[in-house]
Amino acid sequence: MAKRGKLDIMRDMLNIIRDNRNSIKPTPLLRKSNISSKRFKEYYNELLEKGLLKSVQDKKGNKFIFLTEKGLRFLEKYRTIIEFIDEFEL
Amino acid sequence: MRPPIEYFFPPEIGAELIYSFIIIICSLMIYYATKEMYELSSYKGIKYFRQAFLFFAIAFFSRYFIKFLLMFFNVGEILRFSMMRIGWISTFIFLYSISMAVFYLLYSVMWKKWNHSQLRIYLFNLFAFIIAMMGLLGGVITSLLLIAALLLFASLILFIAYKNSKNSRKGKKLYMIYLLLFVFCILNIFDILIPTFLQVYQLAIYLASSLIFMIILYKVLKNTGN
Repeated sequence: MAKRGKLDIMRDMLNIIRDNRNSIKPTPLLRKSNISSKRFKEYYNELLEKGLLKSVQDKKGNKFIFLTEKGLRFLEKYRTIIEFIDEFEL
Repeated sequence: MRPPIEYFFPPEIGAELIYSFIIIICSLMIYYATKEMYELSSYKGIKYFRQAFLFFAIAFFSRYFIKFLLMFFNVGEILRFSMMRIGWISTFIFLYSISMAVFYLLYSVMWKKWNHSQLRIYLFNLFAFIIAMMGLLGGVITSLLLIAALLLFASLILFIAYKNSKNSRKGKKLYMIYLLLFVFCILNIFDILIPTFLQVYQLAIYLASSLIFMIILYKVLKNTGN
């Protein structure tokens, strides 16, 4: 299997959340993302910072991760972004 | 009797104005068409690509638009500016911006191979500043040689990348467009520092440069779905 790039990993993480009815706990997301916990933390924080996902804590203290509008837009535009990068060799 | 239109609008200024207008519009359209993609992905290659075209827009705005505004609206007289000083400032901004545009465009295709480093961006700024200063303070020949050498060096790097391009036909076509763009940048700089350099070919150079920008814009719009 080819090595995933940064954008591929971001897409995969966002897809996992979307496929999980847009709500997932951090541990299953880490497991399904198939990356080390160190890298997961980096990507997770970056996605939060960029506003592609948000995390909410319920009354019991459980943390849930959701996609934002921007996150959904990223998934919609992902193919276009990749094709653009490929076309201009960026 | 009304003075002829040429009195207000000499033909060479008209050609320069249309030319610069096309380049500015194309560059800004490229910059804004890729805005959302960059905001979503924060991808460095897209960032450098966008910045290259922003600098192209600034370069051509400073070179031709300021000249046009000063001449057409007689701003120099109104604000009591020294036309020579404004000429120096606009030449400095043009040389700095066009050098940065070339560096950024080159970096947009090379950043992965060169390992991204902020130091490189500082170096680009330093080189662009030196080029702009040389254009103003150095002798015309010295500055031309320096600028041409740097741009040719950039073109050479691009040519090597073009030769090694894995992306077959598509990539090679792109590198060819960029190489032509760099050549036209050199010709544009020659045109500014030695106004008599191009003479009869000036219009052809303007047309060819505009065409290259329009081709890039077309490719961008096609690939961004705009």
